[in-house]
Amino acid sequence: MNGTAIDDGSTIDRRPLITCAGELEVFSTIEDNLSQALPQDSCEWRRSLGRPVRSVHIGANFAPFSAAALPKGAQWDLIRYPLFHIYWTECTDVDLYKNTVRDDIENWLKELQTRDIPDFLVVVVENYDGKRTNKLLPRTTVLDKIRTDFAPKQGDRCISVINPGKVEARSADSWRGLVSRIRHLLLVAYARAVSRLEDHVRQQRERRNEIGWNFMQYFHLQEELAHVLEMLGVHEEALVQYDELDALFSQFVVNGITGESINWLGDFQKPLEQWHGLKINHSTMLSESPSLLELRAYLFAKQAQMLLKANKVWEMASRCLPFLHLTTREITVLEINSPPGAVSCWLFLACVEVLQVCDKYNNADAVEDYSLHTACLWAYASEKLRDLGELCGLMPGGAPTSEQLHTVVGLSAGMGDNPGAPDSPSPTDKLKEALCSQEAFKKTYLELAELAMCTYKHIGRLRSARLVGREVASFYLLLGETQTAAAFLSDAVRTFEQDKWHELAAQTQIELAECYRKANDTKKFIKTSASVAAALEIDTLIRWSYFDEMRKCLQSLEHPLVVPFNDIIKITSVALKNEAIILQDSTINVELVIESNFPREILCTNVQLSIELDTKEGRKSEKYSKSRVLTGKDLKPRDPLLQRLQIFRHLDLKQDKTLASASVVCKHPEHKRKDSAAAPPKSDFQCCLQVANLPLVVTPGVNVIRLSKQATNVGKHYLGQMAIFMKNLHLISQLLTPRVAFEVKEEAPVVRLHKTDAPLLSGFEQIMNLIITIGSYTVEPKSRIKLTASRGLSFQTDPSEPLTTSLEIELGERPPFSSTRTPLRVLADLLTKDHQVSISCPWTSKPIVVKLSFTPPLTTIWRLNTVQHRKFVQINVTGQCEKDIYVEKPQLSVGDFCKIVDRNHSSSHCAFRLPESDTDFCATLRSAKPCRDAPPHHSSGAPPRTSSPVDSIAFNSGASLRAEAEGGMNYSATRDAADSCWTKLYKRGELRAAGSWNFSRRQTAENYSKQVIKSPDIWTPIEIIHKWLCFKPLQAEKML
Amino acid sequence: MAVCVAIVGKDNSPKYFCCLNPDEELSFQYKVLSSLDVIEEKLNAGNKGTNDLRELYLGMLYSLETHKIYGYVTNTKIKFVIVVDSTNMALRDNEIRSMFRKLHSEYADIVCNPFYIPGESICSKSFDVSVKNIMTGTV
Repeated sequence: MNGTAIDDGSTIDRRPLITCAGELEVFSTIEDNLSQALPQDSCEWRRSLGRPVRSVHIGANFAPFSAAALPKGAQWDLIRYPLFHIYWTECTDVDLYKNTVRDDIENWLKELQTRDIPDFLVVVVENYDGKRTNKLLPRTTVLDKIRTDFAPKQGDRCISVINPGKVEARSADSWRGLVSRIRHLLLVAYARAVSRLEDHVRQQRERRNEIGWNFMQYFHLQEELAHVLEMLGVHEEALVQYDELDALFSQFVVNGITGESINWLGDFQKPLEQWHGLKINHSTMLSESPSLLELRAYLFAKQAQMLLKANKVWEMASRCLPFLHLTTREITVLEINSPPGAVSCWLFLACVEVLQVCDKYNNADAVEDYSLHTACLWAYASEKLRDLGELCGLMPGGAPTSEQLHTVVGLSAGMGDNPGAPDSPSPTDKLKEALCSQEAFKKTYLELAELAMCTYKHIGRLRSARLVGREVASFYLLLGETQTAAAFLSDAVRTFEQDKWHELAAQTQIELAECYRKANDTKKFIKTSASVAAALEIDTLIRWSYFDEMRKCLQSLEHPLVVPFNDIIKITSVALKNEAIILQDSTINVELVIESNFPREILCTNVQLSIELDTKEGRKSEKYSKSRVLTGKDLKPRDPLLQRLQIFRHLDLKQDKTLASASVVCKHPEHKRKDSAAAPPKSDFQCCLQVANLPLVVTPGVNVIRLSKQATNVGKHYLGQMAIFMKNLHLISQLLTPRVAFEVKEEAPVVRLHKTDAPLLSGFEQIMNLIITIGSYTVEPKSRIKLTASRGLSFQTDPSEPLTTSLEIELGERPPFSSTRTPLRVLADLLTKDHQVSISCPWTSKPIVVKLSFTPPLTTIWRLNTVQHRKFVQINVTGQCEKDIYVEKPQLSVGDFCKIVDRNHSSSHCAFRLPESDTDFCATLRSAKPCRDAPPHHSSGAPPRTSSPVDSIAFNSGASLRAEAEGGMNYSATRDAADSCWTKLYKRGELRAAGSWNFSRRQTAENYSKQVIKSPDIWTPIEIIHKWLCFKPLQAEKML
Repeated sequence: MAVCVAIVGKDNSPKYFCCLNPDEELSFQYKVLSSLDVIEEKLNAGNKGTNDLRELYLGMLYSLETHKIYGYVTNTKIKFVIVVDSTNMALRDNEIRSMFRKLHSEYADIVCNPFYIPGESICSKSFDVSVKNIMTGTV
């Protein structure tokens, strides 16, 4: 296309004209070749004024030389005249040249020089034949001669060429040389002409404010420049020319209304009669006095052509809408009269035409680029078509009046005829058809709108798509297709709500409500009416009316209708009032603060808050609250786009585990499309917190609701979602996130065996406490606790029953959290220390083992002392327990064979050393008579009773004791002032048998009991002594 | 000069909306909302290229038959949108820029107010007055 004849030849051929002189028959053989070869290659075009060097393709037309057609050197419109002149000769003979050709060239050149034309070329065509090549080269050739004669300083103005008619290697070379020489010289000449034209255009433009200046004249002048540039293939610069014209015209219009009126502008203010399309693909000539629409359409078509040639489809698309807006504005500014709908027709045609052109460039790159701009064109076209539809009575639900039919005819006539191919109707065809019938109009409108929405969605302009959707919805509503309309409207509502443009959402909700009312869809009507009633942005009266209607509809609602809270009711805070762990069967209390946006009070038949049991699965995906209170801040949903980015350390390791690089990476969370936000799942309200007093009145604004429930199920739970029931309208909240967790625990019954604070002593009966605490649940009253003692230990609960080693206790009827204490009598054998009681309960499989450690109350040490002939037996009795023990009437029994004489200090001022050796007392053994018959190894059998009363002695640790005599051997021991309550002994015991001691303990003074303990521990040393006495009776006698 | 001014938060929710003619507010809301598409587009494109980060003015977002819509985004992604009557041909790009700059400084003042919680919608009489002044070009 570059430089060659323009496609349909309707535009002016701006190729430079080359004249030919000399032997024209020589030229005629190569003319075709030359005109084809010239534009094939590009040539550098250097220009003045520092403009960039362009690579252009130049073609040419050829004409025979005629002196009359030559321009004068100073003309501005050189471009329209022959620019370059070639003299052709075939003469190879120098003599012949001198005789004829030289004069001829001289004359030709003279003609040129008188007109200051420096652009000429002399071509000598050589015809080689086989014979000549063998001859010696002539000394001078014709070419040399011509050069010296005419162009001594411009060697490039003369060239010889081997006749290209004969195909030879050498001729091809010389041909290329010729073509490039012509190309170069022609461009030099042409460039000069172009710059002359440019200067002229500039001059003319400067004169634009002079009276008599006419825009159209100037327009044609500058367009000539544009044509030239277009011919050279520099479409960008040709575009600049058109852009300048465009801007100039716009400026005139702007100034025309503000400043003084311009005469020629009046030509454009005539009423519109035609509103043909743009005709981008058809190069039409601009009429002599075009209308504004024609001028604008022509300009845009030209700009579009240039852009398409420069392969900038997207730019053409992007310029379209501003161009259309500009034109409509100019029509109003210039107050151009037009029949109603005419401009809309024109706008529609222009949009669709541009879109069709775009559609031709359907390779992926181009589509990506231009979609950004075509989307709004689709929308604009559909908008205009709708305007036309309304004008012509083509909207659904109406019928065109005869007047409207008349309008259609008028509009169609103004569009002109521009028939397209049958399979691809032209925009004009389309519009005419659409205006013909309602059905066709509907089809075309919906198709355009659909395309607009698709394209918007494709380029990611969801909001714009939704706005088109709203328009379409209103159309469908007219059609009576409420379903489709509702779908579009609810999409729009969702998008508006996502962006939190509540007012728009609310307005659309009203439309949606009307849509459902029309469709008689009670459920959805209630839903949307609720939203409308709760929309703060809307006028209160409207809210009231929708609220009342909603309530009216609720009466007829048969099945429950679940509606999410959304903005109707907001939960502002959730507080779990229980502290710490919730025990089974206690009450869970939750306080909710909600904000009702309903314009009036609502009567809630039920208010619930569901409780969910914690399940392990899906736990990670949810957020959990650390506290038991959720406030507004926590409940605010978070925008994932505004979250802090997660940045991690990233180390690249080489194969040998050394560090290759360290970096940080941001794991960009995937953003999901939010437009498919599902309604909250209705959780199971089987287990839920409830309000005590129903029905509950929720007033507009803040309400505090207290919910409670008895905790029956054990385990970890979450607060789920809230539900407010208004008869059959169930308002359901989203799941409360972050989740508020609470734990319901049960407490098992506990059995404990407690000793009193004194250590346990072996050998006598003590009281222990068996404490049974019932936990959070009741225990079967007939269940039994079994206590089993280790060997040597026995016990009994009943004071009257004998001690036993195994005991069963029936629990009986006991309420939860009750505790009972059962005294347990315990007796461990005197010499045993460690015991255990295993308690088996019905609620645990493993028996509870209680370890008991007993200490012997006393230890005794015997010592035999000798004083001269006398033997003294010293008995040390040491108290082992921490507490005090009374020993009453201790008696030492030895056989009959010896008599014990008490040597204890009778004044009873006996100081006990404490703690190790608590007591010292001496007993003097006096043998009554020697007993020879006694068996030598008498180890068992009771020794003969010789009782010698020993005073009651108190053993204790930690304090010095004073023993007092109370007649005879009876000591009533009192402690120091430190413990004054340590008082008297109440009773006296008697040691009936040898080694038997009578103890009493001060701690149990009230329940003082007398026990007789057989003490082998004490028994043994006595035996030893006894044995010793047996062996050495005589000696003893002597001693004593 | 301007017929409508809107301030849109970083989450695209409206923070402030002001029209010379309150009756047209709803239709302007639709216009401003759809301009957010273009703003987002421009911001995303800005991430790819090496746009001048200091340039907050986005230029004309899109035009309608009757109106032109201009955008401006602060560094914290607060969007300012100004709607201009397109018959007002005397309005140059520079004037729009200066309107945005004034609006930005007014907004900065509002944010500095300790009683204003960032992210809430702006409700201030003095702000209303100064925005109206910017719109009518009396400042």
